[in-house]
Amino acid sequence: MNNISNQKEPIVRLNDVLIGYKKEEPLVKIPNLEIFPGEIVAIAGPSGVGKSTLLKTIAGLVRTISGTIEVCGENSPSRPQRGELGYIPQSLGLVRHASVMHNVMIGANAGNNKPRIPLLGIPFPSSTAKGKALHAISAMGLEEKINWPIRILSGGQQRRVATARTLAQSPRLIMADEFLSELDQETIDMVLSEITEFVRSNNAALLVVEHDISRAKLMADRLLVIDDGRINPFITEPTALEVKI
Amino acid sequence: MSERNTILNRVESTLRQYYILLTLFFISFITIYIFDGMINDWGRLSGSLGNFSAFFHESLWPPDWSVLEPQAYPVCTVYPTFIDFTCSTAWIGMIETIKIAFVSTVFGMILSLPISLLAARNLNSPWISYSSRFLLAAFRSLPSIIWAIFFVILVGFGPLAGVLAMTVYTVGYLGKLQYEAIEGMTKTPLEASEAMGLTKFETAFYVVIPESANDLISQAIFMFEYNFRHGTVIGIVGAGGIGYYINLYLKFLQYDKVIAYLIIIFVVVLIIDLISIRARSFFTEEVDLPRSTWLSVFLPSNIIKK
Repeated sequence: MNNISNQKEPIVRLNDVLIGYKKEEPLVKIPNLEIFPGEIVAIAGPSGVGKSTLLKTIAGLVRTISGTIEVCGENSPSRPQRGELGYIPQSLGLVRHASVMHNVMIGANAGNNKPRIPLLGIPFPSSTAKGKALHAISAMGLEEKINWPIRILSGGQQRRVATARTLAQSPRLIMADEFLSELDQETIDMVLSEITEFVRSNNAALLVVEHDISRAKLMADRLLVIDDGRINPFITEPTALEVKI
Repeated sequence: MSERNTILNRVESTLRQYYILLTLFFISFITIYIFDGMINDWGRLSGSLGNFSAFFHESLWPPDWSVLEPQAYPVCTVYPTFIDFTCSTAWIGMIETIKIAFVSTVFGMILSLPISLLAARNLNSPWISYSSRFLLAAFRSLPSIIWAIFFVILVGFGPLAGVLAMTVYTVGYLGKLQYEAIEGMTKTPLEASEAMGLTKFETAFYVVIPESANDLISQAIFMFEYNFRHGTVIGIVGAGGIGYYINLYLKFLQYDKVIAYLIIIFVVVLIIDLISIRARSFFTEEVDLPRSTWLSVFLPSNIIKK
């Protein structure tokens, strides 16, 4: 781990960040967090402690109360460049009435930095983007459902679509909020192996929220535990602690 | 402590019931008071049934179905002759009304969608959304018949004025329904698009429109049905459609012909309503509502089950 940190610039850097929706009611303080290329970092902790809010804050969807955040070389509130950040929300954020292909193409187009149609800002159709989408769908074992609307897929299949959308995007940083829940063990192994291979081979980073600590330990290189006293009774205020795996 | 809470909850629940009763009583009192203030002679109601009976038997009934016969000029040349009712004023007027409703719904939908995307608060800043809402409210503030008068002055009598009037009203009305549907969608697809760095246009085109497509189509079908009903009225001010003929016979006090037109309108509205219910059922979530069959459109569900 130290080798990675010595050689490369971090993809995510948080300094004395206080997160939450209201200034008067901060959720968690993160003194220092750096995530390097090729790393998988899991955030664990009891429900309602602020894990998803931390993810949203790094994604630029929620403003910090104080402190600085740098993501893909851009300091908040500036945003990373188009397609550099992939986000799988807890409720997946899929277009329910559209097909699997349509949803995965949204990711592929976000990662497509080809010239755009003037005024509309939409990239010109690209066979590379389509190829990436088809490859991601196949990697997630969804070839047979490619034209199915999302709303008729099972919860587990929908999670695989959301993962495929992010893989097709090929971002530098993937942020996933409990993306392995509702999946059976065989599918968890398949999804994890695909996403780990993507992270390692592309020097990307994966930041994943996982409330199951044993699963978090299994997949991650580093584990950040956010606790408000429910895990460690000696803690008096919500704190983020890095735990050795 | 818990016993105290139980007592407090019970008191709060009783107070809430009294509050609801008091509110209902207050609304009823205000309504009766205002209504009574507007009516200076309640005795006028006593003769109304007699008046209606006389008017009905002397002027309205039986309807004069000659409105379904071919006009004398231009000479009807359709063949076979049993479809010569297509040369009648009722048929010509009705078809023109349906055409006006259809064209203005399509134009209205095309124009209202971009404005409603701008008006949705979950997609744009308050400045953009409130200015777009102001525009939609302005279109909606006048009923279609007033727009029809305005466009008859601008472009003259005929269906063009009708199409323009109905289109403007459709933009205002449909736009409101559309931005409410867009605001009702879940925010996670929008958050995912924002995090990915998609442009506003891409988010609208790839996420918002597909996600709310069912609502948008269902609303457009409803709007066609609505426009047809209103299209029968705008002809009265010269903006085309069957209303033109109704107005003509009203002026000549030929109420038996007017009632024939009204019955025809009623039947066509009913048929369009039924088609609309069936068509809209294809755009609702099948998990929420069972899709209606033609039989279920006409009969209550308990009879069909038997």
